[in-house]
Amino acid sequence: MKEHAVAHESSIHVVLKAEELWNIAGFPITNSLLMTWMTIALLVLCAFLFRNSLKMVPGKLQAAVEWLFEGVLGYMAETLESEKLARRFFPLIMTIFLFVFLANELAFLPGVGSLLWGDTPLLRAPAADLNMTLALAIIAFLTIEITGVAVLGFFKYAGKYVSFKSPVDFVVGIIELLSNVGRLISFSFRLFGNIFAGEVMIAVAIFFVAYLLPVPLMAFEVFVGFIQAVVFALLTLFFIKIAVMEPHGEEVH
Amino acid sequence: METLLDAFGVDWKLLLAQAVNFGVLLVVLWLVLYKPVMKTLDERAKKIAQGVEDAERASQKLASADDEAANIVAKADVNASTIVTSARTSALEEKARIVKEAEERAARLEKDAQARAKEEAARALRDSEREVARLSILAAEKVLTKRT
Repeated sequence: MKEHAVAHESSIHVVLKAEELWNIAGFPITNSLLMTWMTIALLVLCAFLFRNSLKMVPGKLQAAVEWLFEGVLGYMAETLESEKLARRFFPLIMTIFLFVFLANELAFLPGVGSLLWGDTPLLRAPAADLNMTLALAIIAFLTIEITGVAVLGFFKYAGKYVSFKSPVDFVVGIIELLSNVGRLISFSFRLFGNIFAGEVMIAVAIFFVAYLLPVPLMAFEVFVGFIQAVVFALLTLFFIKIAVMEPHGEEVH
Repeated sequence: METLLDAFGVDWKLLLAQAVNFGVLLVVLWLVLYKPVMKTLDERAKKIAQGVEDAERASQKLASADDEAANIVAKADVNASTIVTSARTSALEEKARIVKEAEERAARLEKDAQARAKEEAARALRDSEREVARLSILAAEKVLTKRT
């Protein structure tokens, strides 16, 4: 178990965790961290190039980006039922999507997993490392909970989970509290599991037939990478919506 | 739990690094991408709204200008007809005055001519009477001288 999801010689080695390439003053630099930096650098570069070519009369690329932004913002405003909240959370949701999407798709570049540094792969899909998905999950979780407190107030928000109005309310509240914490796990493992499983599947396919057979699987994994980015961003949005909703007892039905 | 996290390679240093990575990306994209694009979108929306409003105002202005033009033409029509009427009236008056004056003058000339003719006739009569008298005196003188 000392190899990334790539077939070497005549066996399939699957490593669950990202591997350390270098250790700088006690800080481990792993292959997935390196790839994360590359992804971020690419996004930042594109953002700067794009900003410098912004025009009042848009070109095709600008029109496409604007269409995407306006569509997402419109959908968010519809979901959150507030233009103001939508504008506030748009950067977070959009960044989650862009980052996860690009990170997943860049993993299909040739060289990812196959370039070696010593005997460890130099690059690894960022989402195939639980550190990255868990960090994103924690950010999403904190955003959701803090938003709930900020919009509803601490006691009203806490009242959603700790309620003594009736035994049923109490139990429901506790279950909701647990499911909230459970999001940390579902968020991180969903993304990790999907991307990691995809890599393992492609590695297995390459082990059996190195040519052509992996192509449809890779096409499917490209799609999965997109879907997982959408799912992560959308679920964050929906949980924010749930967090800012008035508690059940006070809704008018 | 510890062994589970260990199996997945979860390390708080890496966790923190990834969180910081994402945070940096979020801030940079916010400043470099979302803000400028949103600003552009808002500006364009404002510009379009301004354009529509301007066009509306222009068409309103055009309509009111048309109204005004029609008003002015109507007023000018009324004015012109008053002017024509008054001109006609004054022309008629002038004509009447001129005709009357001419008639008066003609009458005066006629009277003058008659008076002069009468005078001429009277003078001719007087002259002829004097001539007759003078001739008769000459004749009488001739007769008287022949007898003697």
